[in-house]
Amino acid sequence: MISKKREHTVAILWAVLLAWPSVSASASPQDHAVSVLYAGSLAAVMENGVGPAFAKATGYGYQGEAQGSLGAAQMIRGRLRTPDVFISADPAVNESLLMGLHNGSRVKWFMLLASSQLVLGYNPRSKFAAKFRAAEANRIPWYEVLETPGVRFGRGDPSIDPKGYRTLFMFGLAGQHYHRPELPGLLGDPRNPAQVFPEIVLMVQVESGQFDAGVFYKHEVEAYKLPYISLPPEISLGDSRFAARYARQTYTTSSGLQVSGAPILFTITIPETVRHREAALAFVRFLLTSDKLLKQFGFGNVDHQVGGDVMQVPAGLREFASGTFKP
Amino acid sequence: MSRPLNPTFIAFGLLGSLLLLDLVLPIMNLLLHADWSGWIAELKQPDARQALKISVTASIISTLIMTFLGVPLGYLLARANLPFKRLWISLVFLPMVVPGLAGGILLLQMFGPYGMIGQPLDAWSIELTNNLAGIVLAQLFVASPFVVVSALAGFASVDPKLEQAAATLGDSRWQIFRRISLPLAWPGIAAGITLAWIRALGEFGATLIMAYNPHSLPVYMWVKFESDGLAGAMPVAFWLVLAAGAVVAVSMFLSGLTGHAYVVTPLGVRPHEG
Repeated sequence: MISKKREHTVAILWAVLLAWPSVSASASPQDHAVSVLYAGSLAAVMENGVGPAFAKATGYGYQGEAQGSLGAAQMIRGRLRTPDVFISADPAVNESLLMGLHNGSRVKWFMLLASSQLVLGYNPRSKFAAKFRAAEANRIPWYEVLETPGVRFGRGDPSIDPKGYRTLFMFGLAGQHYHRPELPGLLGDPRNPAQVFPEIVLMVQVESGQFDAGVFYKHEVEAYKLPYISLPPEISLGDSRFAARYARQTYTTSSGLQVSGAPILFTITIPETVRHREAALAFVRFLLTSDKLLKQFGFGNVDHQVGGDVMQVPAGLREFASGTFKP
Repeated sequence: MSRPLNPTFIAFGLLGSLLLLDLVLPIMNLLLHADWSGWIAELKQPDARQALKISVTASIISTLIMTFLGVPLGYLLARANLPFKRLWISLVFLPMVVPGLAGGILLLQMFGPYGMIGQPLDAWSIELTNNLAGIVLAQLFVASPFVVVSALAGFASVDPKLEQAAATLGDSRWQIFRRISLPLAWPGIAAGITLAWIRALGEFGATLIMAYNPHSLPVYMWVKFESDGLAGAMPVAFWLVLAAGAVVAVSMFLSGLTGHAYVVTPLGVRPHEG
């Protein structure tokens, strides 16, 4: 009798196991959640700000994942991730890795979401904090602090991170702007092992006080509440009026990707990997109408120009489009 | 002699092979889709060779340190009358439950240029992050518990009567350790060292924070993936699997040399002949 009963239990267990996927698929809230793959520097903004705000406003769930923009694009391209929405830190990442037949047409359009700018974030407990504060108050030039012997400053790795090559551009621009051609020399080799780190590691280094300062996006230092020194628009890559000047800076990544200086723009798209179309549309719509929220987090607001094929922009989003984006 | 298959074995075999498939399929998939010539060409790049060299060097150094410091600790925990013994043992397990990235941050705050230990050393121009030392420290943190725990278990399983017998014959504590306890516990310890070595070789999370540069093999694989996608990362993944295989082979060879089977004879513990 007992063994019969046990057999029954086992049979029921198996039945539940086998039936589970269909049960969970029909009832789980995951079905109504949007999965968003986004540029690593947005982590704090997305997880603490945008994600919860979106869920509250629309009732859809939100699942975010932070990756370096280039790595994230590589994941979508290699079918290792199938996000509903992709937010990149550089329009060029869409264009060179995801758009076009040779890239499997994973992305057919994108819209500009927001702008940002480079700043010099520093640790308030650094030995050199007084000097950094003086530079923040414009009493001494920021590069003078970096030239101080013993100051450790870090930056992104240009071969894996748009912020890495943007920092190279910024120093090139600074050399011209201040008529100090030796400034780019502060960086050493583009991939100087004493300075370059992955985005998240750099933040850990500066926040924990192991590095005195680092080159960050404004929205990063705002999110992590680090004090920072603003840079003039001629070199911060944050002002489209200087686009032509920015464009004269170029860099070739270790994998042969040619990039040139441009205003820092974040883009949003629904890639062809989308599984929850309704939720994805709601999310993009939410962000495109969140100028105030984005500004709060340190971004600049931009016209939502469309890159790629305008005809592929979903009908529900066209009302937000304003002109076409030309790199 | 043939008996009907035991239903328990059949059931366990089914369950076990599900797990085995989960372990083996990804590796099989890697080898099946191998682009052998392309990958080997890829690995001739100086960056890749450098990363391999860094990983092998760092993991050998860290494994030697773990063994030299971890085996005595395991013996102490197994045999000495320590106060708060359970507390010490649970401390050894601590790094196993701390995620790699978190471990890296903790290590950085200790050994970084402004860290508790790093700062005084920095005055002497000794740096413990972003170099081979940083990689070794990260590997030590995540992998040494394997050595200590296996040594502890190995020594604890040695029959105390054998040790007592040696003591009554006048052997000192050190002689007992060297002639009785260590040889008997060695097979388990050797397995632990092998595991630790492989764990050190594959260490990623803590290393990324402690020493992004110079790239160890796992960090290099991540960088290649970020910059070149799958095509960049696969050859390095392949190398890592090969390196782990080599470690197992080397370990088996070494433990074969040092005797994987011992017998207790009236004259002491001896390698098993034949």
